[in-house]
Amino acid sequence: MKEEIQMDKKGSDKILSIYWFVILTLVAGGIFAMVYVFYGAPSDVREIEANLLAQKLADCVSKNGLIEENLFLNGDFNPAINSYFTDRCDITFDVEEGYGDEEKIQYFYKIEFYEIKDVVNPLFVISDGNLNWESECFIEKSNSKDYLRLVKCKERRFYAVDKGQKQYLIKILSGVGKSEKNVKQ
Amino acid sequence: MNKRGTILVENIVFLILNLLFLSLLVLFLLRQGNGAIVLEESYSKQIAMVLDSAKPVMIIQMDMEKARKLAERRGIDFANAVQISGNVVKVKLTQNSGYSYSFFNNVDVSARAIKDSKGDYTGMYLFVVNERGNSNG
Repeated sequence: MKEEIQMDKKGSDKILSIYWFVILTLVAGGIFAMVYVFYGAPSDVREIEANLLAQKLADCVSKNGLIEENLFLNGDFNPAINSYFTDRCDITFDVEEGYGDEEKIQYFYKIEFYEIKDVVNPLFVISDGNLNWESECFIEKSNSKDYLRLVKCKERRFYAVDKGQKQYLIKILSGVGKSEKNVKQ
Repeated sequence: MNKRGTILVENIVFLILNLLFLSLLVLFLLRQGNGAIVLEESYSKQIAMVLDSAKPVMIIQMDMEKARKLAERRGIDFANAVQISGNVVKVKLTQNSGYSYSFFNNVDVSARAIKDSKGDYTGMYLFVVNERGNSNG
């Protein structure tokens, strides 16, 4: 009788060990899957890039709160600046031959100048890049894969004065596409 | 005596298998974080972000020790690990891989690996930023 009990105990110990390894295998499988998913997806740096672009544009528009003089012509904003503002700020959107894998410009920006008394209708606008993406900035995004591929945008607002001490509200909207390199396909 | 001895051996085998299993798991996790593909991507994006915020006549030093170790293990000269052509940064740490990422800052950048007095690579990389068309770095 005593031997039978010992045999049963030994048998149940073995079964317990098998279960233990089955559980360990399941846990390991879960960890492998999580690690694979984590490292398999590229890190998304587009928001940082959009922020850097907005920062560079802000530095180019005003220094120490004073709007750059060459944005004006005879006291008004100079409309011709639109054609060379990107170059003047040492920014290039032609970064890869044929604009890289996605074959179109992967950046855009829009700078709006408002008078303090009217912050709805911009007085002057400077823009460049792939402006088709502007509308994507205002879509409420979820974690769905389709939404992740949309352009990442950044908006910055600040106040500055011209040399006549007239105040302006300046809004800078910048966006970066590059979904091929930043979102898992 | 025999029975007690058998139980001890089983326990030891069980413990060893558990330890082996956990060690393999930890090794796998460590290797994943330091893999060539992950490092190439993270370094190229980091360099591109740094260059985006750089201004002409800046000299930037970056610690790329992990990249140096990996490149040396895979037989790649660390001096060729980072290549910048135009506005594209390419990091290559193995013979068969490489990752490139672009930056929008319109500047000329030259990159080189720093060596110590003995001529060995320190794991640091130097980036010299100049105005476009003025690459004296």
